[in-house]
Amino acid sequence: MTQSSETMDGPATTPQDTRRAQRLSSTSVAVIAIYGLVVAMILLSRAVSPAFGGLSQVETIFYLAAFLVFCAFGQGLVILVRGLDLSIASLITLGGVLSTALMAGSNDGLFYILPAILLACALIGVVSGIGVTFFAIPPFIMTMAVGIIVYSLCLGFTQGTPRGFPSPLLRDLMQARLLAIPAPIWLLLAFVAVGTVLQGYSAFGRKLNAVGNNPEAAYVAGLSARTLTISAYAVSAACAGLTGILLAAYANGATLRMGDDYLLPSIAAVVVGGSSILGGRGSFLGTVGGALLLTTLATILSALGIGQGWKTILEGLVILVALIVLREQVFDALQAGLRGLKKG
Amino acid sequence: MSDTGISSSSFAARGPSLRALAESALLIATIYLIMGAIYVSVQPSALSAYSIESLFNNSLPLMLAAAGATFVILQGGFDLSVAGVISLVNVVVAVTPLEGPLGALGLLAIALLIGMGVGAVNGLIVAGLKIQAIAATLATMIVCQGAALLVLGAPGGYVSDFMAYELTGSVLGVPLALWIALAGVALWSVYRRTDAGRNLLAVGQDRKAAALSGIDVARTEFFSFVWAGAYYALAAYMLAAQTSTGSPNAGEPFLLLTFAAVALGGTAFGGGRGSVTASLFGAATLMLMQKVMFALGVSSFYTGVIQGLIMILAVLFAAGVQLAIRSGKRP
Repeated sequence: MTQSSETMDGPATTPQDTRRAQRLSSTSVAVIAIYGLVVAMILLSRAVSPAFGGLSQVETIFYLAAFLVFCAFGQGLVILVRGLDLSIASLITLGGVLSTALMAGSNDGLFYILPAILLACALIGVVSGIGVTFFAIPPFIMTMAVGIIVYSLCLGFTQGTPRGFPSPLLRDLMQARLLAIPAPIWLLLAFVAVGTVLQGYSAFGRKLNAVGNNPEAAYVAGLSARTLTISAYAVSAACAGLTGILLAAYANGATLRMGDDYLLPSIAAVVVGGSSILGGRGSFLGTVGGALLLTTLATILSALGIGQGWKTILEGLVILVALIVLREQVFDALQAGLRGLKKG
Repeated sequence: MSDTGISSSSFAARGPSLRALAESALLIATIYLIMGAIYVSVQPSALSAYSIESLFNNSLPLMLAAAGATFVILQGGFDLSVAGVISLVNVVVAVTPLEGPLGALGLLAIALLIGMGVGAVNGLIVAGLKIQAIAATLATMIVCQGAALLVLGAPGGYVSDFMAYELTGSVLGVPLALWIALAGVALWSVYRRTDAGRNLLAVGQDRKAAALSGIDVARTEFFSFVWAGAYYALAAYMLAAQTSTGSPNAGEPFLLLTFAAVALGGTAFGGGRGSVTASLFGAATLMLMQKVMFALGVSSFYTGVIQGLIMILAVLFAAGVQLAIRSGKRP
């Protein structure tokens, strides 16, 4: 569909390269707009109450957004290759449940248990990826089915009540501060740096972009679209597992429904961040901005004491407005206007 | 044979029997009957009037939700608002005290108004503003969830005795829920033969070709969301009658199960192939499956494993039949 809109709506004389460049810059305009919106919201919240807008509020927002950013990165990669990952909630639960059960409140074995859990999650992602690529099962159905199966296994494994505790080392890490900044925020910054390079600038990211833009062309260019797509699902599943491990360390225990609050927000963060839900367009910095925007909104609304109902409505409306404003056509119009200004 | 629009003629040439199998609800209906037979053989009490009534009452909301979602999926769209609409209508019905048959009718009108209203908003955003259906309906779903919380902050409310007893009872010895499901089947078999029904499938098969052949694609998209909203509202209405109460989270379990039911019915995600009848059977099968697994003594913890596997197998099977149609043309 991205293709068809390109070939149908685009002026016939515009060469492919120019359109590509336009699209890239419209993505960066979207990203800048989102961060501007986040800053404006934080500053405006100060007008409502002097308790807001301070550094401690910013810290809270970053802290809470971190979990969403971790799982939204994987979601973004899957959406980039024209998929959707609905198994995220179950894999967050799996990560949390396995980490508390296996580590059982001790630090012993932390350094092989953690990679083992991430590997297990990644393998589940590979299963989803194989279903989507080799068996042509729609991503929505495949990841939903895998999610239901994984959740059911978590339920059976815990017999309904998750046991155990996270390793004290991880738990302390979630509370620790380094240079007056909470350790999870450092973790977030590092993750964002690595994720941005991986998605936007590495060979892997460029290939994923190519597959998302035009799978046939990517195949002609010698890229293995299947392997790349499968690895996107694997990364997504591993990221969800990581989110679960860290959430369990943060909350000092796992629950079976701990992943539920992240599935739809992970999709919303990616979409609000300016990625096309149809794939081929999107940046991780945009997704991070989307996650920050949603978290900022939620934080301010709960601090204002607004009821859950209005809070939810406003969240939905923000997503809707972001979708309408961040449409490609709007940017194309904006760009055309800017070019007109320059010429004039 | 022209009821599937654009490529119907080529499909017909590829063997009408296999095509009929893929396009109709025959396959999923057979699976449903086999599962029903298993259920009856392990639990003979399943044939009592009470058991049959409660089975259909339990299944109906999901069946209606899946039927509604099918309209949108057939034209190649997606509608996540199902969960939000069901929550919203469910609580509105539970907090509006209208007694008696007329009250029930009035509530049905209110329910349909809300459902079709949300559907129209979805349609305007998707068909009018050209915003991706998944993303747009994700937003409207969240807004509806919020509105449901405003109407009723926590599970509660009640429905009239008429709704609680008459709507979950039997008419002429047949459960009313089954009558409604049959009406859904009848409505679809008429609708798919109308211009609107043909357009729906044609748009799902190939938007460009449909537009070139003079079909108003945006209008078709718009109305698919409106009909879907009406079905979700009816699902929520019947859910309220069945549970005699309302919950602002009533729609949440429907989000994934609705699409699972549609997939089980063999309707293609991406549009153009499938039927509402098949989705009705898909949903009924999903609900019956839970009962069968319980009767067979499968630990309720692990029913999800089987549900998930069956979903994947159903999609693979439907794809296999499609492949067989294509290769079956040769001789």
